[in-house]
Amino acid sequence: MAKAVKGSRTAKKKTTTKTPVRRPGVKRAKAPARREPAARRWIELRVNGRVHALEVGRDLQPSTTLAVLLRERLGFTGLKIACDEGACGGCTVLLDGQAVLSCMLLAVEAHGHEIVTVEGLPADDPVIQAFAEQSEPGHGTALQCGYCTPGFVMTARALLDENPAPSLAEVKEALGGNICRCGCYQGIAQAVLHAAEKLAARRAQGVKS
Amino acid sequence: MKKPFTPRVRRKHVGGYRPRIDGAEKAAGKARYIDDLTTPLHIPGLAYAKVLRSPYPRARIRRLDTRKAAALPGVLGVLTYQDPEVAALKPTSAGWTDGVDTVSYDKMMWGAFRDRRVLGDYACWAGDEVGAVVAAESEQLAEQALRLLEVDWEKLPFVLEPEEAMRPGAPVLHPEIAPTNVLPADPVGGPDVFVVKGDAEAELARAEVVVEGSCAHHNATQCSLDPWCCVVEWTDALLTVWSNAYEADQTRTHLSEMLGLPLHKVRVVSPYVGGQFGRGDTGDQPFFLFTALLARKVGRPVKFKHTRRESFHDGRQPAVFHARVGARRDGTITAMTFESLGNAGAHADHTMFALKFAPLEVAEVAFAHIPHIRIGSRAVYTDKMPACMMRGVGNSQFNLSLGHMLDLLAERLGVDPVELALKNFGHEWEGLPNRSLTAVLRAGAERLGWREKRHAPGQGPAFEGTKKRGVGFSFHPAWHAEWQEVRRGEVQVALTLNPDCTVNLDAASVETGTGSNTCNVLGCAEALACLGIGPADIRWEPVVDTQVNVKDCVQTDSAVAFLQSEVLAVAAGELRQRLCERAAPALGRPAAELEVVDGRVRVRAEPARGVAVRELLRRAPLTPIRVHSSRPPLAEKTGVPFIATFAEVEVDTATGRTQVLRLVVVNDCGTVMYASGAEAQQIGGQCMGMGEALTEEIIYDRATGVPLNFNWIDYKIPTLADMPDIEPVLLEVWRGGGEYGACGIGEGTVTCAPRAILNAIHNAIGKRLDAIPVKPEKVLAALGKA
Repeated sequence: MAKAVKGSRTAKKKTTTKTPVRRPGVKRAKAPARREPAARRWIELRVNGRVHALEVGRDLQPSTTLAVLLRERLGFTGLKIACDEGACGGCTVLLDGQAVLSCMLLAVEAHGHEIVTVEGLPADDPVIQAFAEQSEPGHGTALQCGYCTPGFVMTARALLDENPAPSLAEVKEALGGNICRCGCYQGIAQAVLHAAEKLAARRAQGVKS
Repeated sequence: MKKPFTPRVRRKHVGGYRPRIDGAEKAAGKARYIDDLTTPLHIPGLAYAKVLRSPYPRARIRRLDTRKAAALPGVLGVLTYQDPEVAALKPTSAGWTDGVDTVSYDKMMWGAFRDRRVLGDYACWAGDEVGAVVAAESEQLAEQALRLLEVDWEKLPFVLEPEEAMRPGAPVLHPEIAPTNVLPADPVGGPDVFVVKGDAEAELARAEVVVEGSCAHHNATQCSLDPWCCVVEWTDALLTVWSNAYEADQTRTHLSEMLGLPLHKVRVVSPYVGGQFGRGDTGDQPFFLFTALLARKVGRPVKFKHTRRESFHDGRQPAVFHARVGARRDGTITAMTFESLGNAGAHADHTMFALKFAPLEVAEVAFAHIPHIRIGSRAVYTDKMPACMMRGVGNSQFNLSLGHMLDLLAERLGVDPVELALKNFGHEWEGLPNRSLTAVLRAGAERLGWREKRHAPGQGPAFEGTKKRGVGFSFHPAWHAEWQEVRRGEVQVALTLNPDCTVNLDAASVETGTGSNTCNVLGCAEALACLGIGPADIRWEPVVDTQVNVKDCVQTDSAVAFLQSEVLAVAAGELRQRLCERAAPALGRPAAELEVVDGRVRVRAEPARGVAVRELLRRAPLTPIRVHSSRPPLAEKTGVPFIATFAEVEVDTATGRTQVLRLVVVNDCGTVMYASGAEAQQIGGQCMGMGEALTEEIIYDRATGVPLNFNWIDYKIPTLADMPDIEPVLLEVWRGGGEYGACGIGEGTVTCAPRAILNAIHNAIGKRLDAIPVKPEKVLAALGKA
């Protein structure tokens, strides 16, 4: 069960540079199991269900962002670094169930936390499906170049975890911190509404989403 | 709710509403872009480059000391303007081609304006790449090394605006190109006054009604999300360049011509690209060259990825248009003049394309029935950011003026501007009113509720006390029909029919998001429907590789959506012929007597006698059938269709804020190749147009000449929260030549939105705003409140 965070709060955080992400330190997760001598500092993070133990100074630098670590070290290239300054939402991942901007988080700050990237969503994830399928008359597709799409998918995923049946206005607000330069916003909004319908249908059939 | 379009000809695949072929891959984050394919996990030994950028709008490097930078641990090498391989590079332009054709150095479009020195010692805008580029083990180290470069800058006087740049005694930017800052006439762009028909001045003097007006388009920028990037690797046999420019073959040509390498030793690889919108044009940017030379110098593969702020370094040419229109009292326009003054920025690049070609083309295809026309443009070098192409190049600037003049004249005459447009505009291939324009404007007016919502300027009711609503529209001729694409030479495709009756489609085109890949698969499925196969049986390869693929068809003019499908129709004919030849021995008839229908090769005169295509292909040996077709676009002139945007806005007269309530975008596109994709382009174009109209603008500090907002916090792009309801309307009224008779639409969709919104603002508050973006302070000033 994802932790409660209001969609609007997610959006608001993403549009300000001062406090762009929830600092993981606020809600302290379990201390890492492994303790190393002070000279050798390790971090552990669980990414898409798998634990990665990484050495600061070798596998990453103290200044390495979570986005760079995930992409360049661990190979999760679904998230995109389009602005690298918290302005576009392209690097959005889930941290303990909340949508965060991984370019605005140092990798060491993610120590002890659970990360889900777009690669960690199941193949039949209703949000992914809805974005892929979006094509009904009048709204266009939910993606064109696709560069922003994983960020939108993860933001939408966090919204629907919190609010499984959002209104169009709620969708617009929650996703208002992500940029799609191709301008597929109308298709994106439809895709999120369709994803909510898919989730409802699955719930009605007793399928876990 | 939303109405689907009505196709003129119902086809099996072409024209459908359906998901994109890359939808699932992109939604799941599995589509790979340049940055995803060139991590250190992919390229062992990858080094990173950073280039020195001028902090001053104009400066010359007196002396450069690289010793400290080179000594920093982790720095692999520094390449400077003093290295002989850099100094030997020919002066160049980033405007080799508008993308329609692939050209050599000698034939580059703007050969008269070769004002770029690759990594020279002379900076002409604050951000210009000059002097040195460093390679290091990481981006951070490369940045650190840049800070260790000791540069002795000679700061020079600069100019930011054309008016300053044209003053006598203004410091001249490129004395080797032009003795003043005004760009000289050149053989391609022609003289400053490039449309002269009749005698516009004399006609204006005797016209019953004359209106006059100016408007200014600003320095918008493409803002593709995918940061500008290239990765270069040398081996003994080959120079390999990964690129996210939108033309692979021109990039290869550029590298070959500038570095003196044979074409077969240069390989350009272009995967999916995260948006283009014209950025950097076609692979002629100097950064390819200095990255290549740096990689050779340090002996390592080198990645040069622009930061987001550096990815702002291209855009639309700002221009001020002054226009006069003369008419009879019955609304017949008799004379028009347009004069523009453009800000070329530091390098000419494609400025004259924007200022001259677009109005020239519009005059040809939309002003054919107006007897007296004069159009002139001048562009001026300044120490601002240069510009190549941006979606709707030139047309966006020109439409801002055209739609303005139409609305002004309609107001003066007291007539509906829709009727005024229909009375006057069209091309020479048919009389007035133009069928396409009529259909487009009638559809837009009906969908928006034009008649019901339009009122005298500023005279509508108030909402919530201070808010006023209004409606406006603007129209433009669409580009580009097939006949306008003849400069491409040949469009190439190749088809491989595998022994299991699946198809590998080689319709190379760098996929920047336009959806032409889905158009091509639908076109291929349509052409091969007789084989009993559908889109799911066709594989289109997203990575363009010049060592493997046919020449890529460039995404310019949005024309790839149909150009390759036209050739696929020809290729499918060849493929059917090959199948008939293969079946002939078994069926005991010559190939000429056979046909391919419903998945069978059969004898035309005896339909019952035949063989299933699948069975035929499975007979040993399992050799695929491969056909390769090349064909130039058709040259038959067929006129062009029209496009329009209708807008409804609400202006808060207390705060000055404009909210767009509704946009209706209408495209007559001949044939809709892929409906969901076309509607996505229509909707997306309105987003970009709305941003240009209301919020987007590059702002310079006038005192220092430094651009201030190369980031997405201060350069405000519309987001989902800002977007109004947009209704896309697709029409098939005009028809071009060929199998489909389509035209490109995506590029044009951005063109009319700004002027439609501005005219709607005028209708709402009764004040005309001449310069975009219309930010609240401009509205308040117009209302006399600021």
